[in-house]
Amino acid sequence: MVYITSWDEFVERSVQLFRADPDATRYVMKYRHCDGKLVLKVTDNRECLKYKTDQAQEAKKMEKLNNIFFTLMARGPEVDLSEVTGKEQTDAQPTKRGRGRKQ
Amino acid sequence: MVLLQLDPFLNELTSMFERSTETGSVWVTLKRSTLKSKAVRNKMATAGEAIEYRCLIRATNGKKTISTSVGAKDHQRFQASYATILKAHMTSLKKRERKEKKKSAEADKREGTSKRPKKS
Repeated sequence: MVYITSWDEFVERSVQLFRADPDATRYVMKYRHCDGKLVLKVTDNRECLKYKTDQAQEAKKMEKLNNIFFTLMARGPEVDLSEVTGKEQTDAQPTKRGRGRKQ
Repeated sequence: MVLLQLDPFLNELTSMFERSTETGSVWVTLKRSTLKSKAVRNKMATAGEAIEYRCLIRATNGKKTISTSVGAKDHQRFQASYATILKAHMTSLKKRERKEKKKSAEADKREGTSKRPKKS
């Protein structure tokens, strides 16, 4: 099984995979509380990408990925992912304001 | 395979997580679907109608499977509730030390002393 080590690479490749074949691509999550392990899989039945972790901070990243997939699947693969970038913009703006005040 | 409405699905998912704390896994699958057969879809495409896509969500604990279908209108609400459930239950994942200095300090201490944990 292809386990990807970089989170960002996993996200980018899985979004690409989904956009290439939205009807066949699925996103699977497996959680084992007794082992404390989380495994994510994205496949289009031809190619398979997996990511495993046992870190709590990765769970937060996974939530963002969940949001991405929900938006893509419910609205369609042509969606701009402006939700994600919109959040990033709102995160960036307050920091800029903060720097302005300090100056 | 049990197809449920949104809220009952979330309740069942919560109880599934609670039941699998000691042993077992919880699988959640997300897939895009129209919930209509290929023939119907082709007809709709030729008729020029917009095909409504929904997000199919399945959850299983290896023995029981539940599922629900989320449309574009409900997906924001479902997303929020789903995130809350996951956050509440994924408690066995390890938390990392934020300060790297602490890590190296701990590693030095461990190398110096025995492997028995000291209670300070």
